[in-house]
Amino acid sequence: MTPLAHYLILSGILFSIGLAGVLIRKNIIVVFMCLEMMLSAANISLVAFSRAQGTEGVPVYDPQVLALFVVAIAAAEVAIGLALIVAMFRARKSVESTAITSLKD
Amino acid sequence: MEAAISSILFYLFAAIAVLSAFGVVASRNPVTSAMCMALSFASTAAVLFGMGAQFLGIVQIIVYAGAILVLFLFVVMMLDVKSEESTLSRLPRAILGVVVAGVFAGMVTKAALLLPGATDNKCPVLSLFCDDYCATTTAQTPAEPAYGGPLPELKEATDKENSGTKALGETLFTQYSLPFAILSFALLAGTVGAVALGRKIRKD
Repeated sequence: MTPLAHYLILSGILFSIGLAGVLIRKNIIVVFMCLEMMLSAANISLVAFSRAQGTEGVPVYDPQVLALFVVAIAAAEVAIGLALIVAMFRARKSVESTAITSLKD
Repeated sequence: MEAAISSILFYLFAAIAVLSAFGVVASRNPVTSAMCMALSFASTAAVLFGMGAQFLGIVQIIVYAGAILVLFLFVVMMLDVKSEESTLSRLPRAILGVVVAGVFAGMVTKAALLLPGATDNKCPVLSLFCDDYCATTTAQTPAEPAYGGPLPELKEATDKENSGTKALGETLFTQYSLPFAILSFALLAGTVGAVALGRKIRKD
């Protein structure tokens, strides 16, 4: 079997690609997509730990329940976030993060 | 043999997931980003299937690649977003992002490789071809528990009584029934909030 470390490395790499996207991109929709990728990358390491902690071939199911909760929270977060993006587009006629400067000025 | 094939499939899908995640960040068109994200989520689901978490893999496909992706595409097409300008015009920001993310990835990789038993694994492709290699490497199993080493083999699911999905459901609805109920309130609040934010604001 593949070692646990490789699953963790995959999870970390996917997470940091998402982090790079959040830092680099200006389009808020793409930033939001990268946030979703970070959440789903965390799920990989949760499930890998669930397998690694298991005894006698039965995984520990608590991390998998947590991963399920992460998916549900991600769904709620997308609903709210996209509604915020639509509201922002109505107010500013743009989805660039550089358009929101009210607190800066 | 089976372990070798599952390892090869893991590395294949991991490579697809990482490459398509790069596509999400690098592509200038948001629709291309969304499609790359679907590919990345599908490969992530394949990795989850490979770990024996069938239910979570299915949930990953249905919720992420199905519902969330369709929502993103709806919003991208509704707002008629223009393509972003080239990344070269804001090079300092790109360099900052790449450096921060690279340092984070390096830290995670180093920490994962420092786990006991993480580095003394066998090449799965080699064990596919020669039996002698397997015989020599399985003989010298480490005495101490190698936590970061190969994942323990799953027990064979002989009937539907001991399938992973049933055990996951039992854990969810017995031990975690209160968090599950709270989660449903969070989803309800999310739905109400999305409707409240999405409606047109009247001036009167």
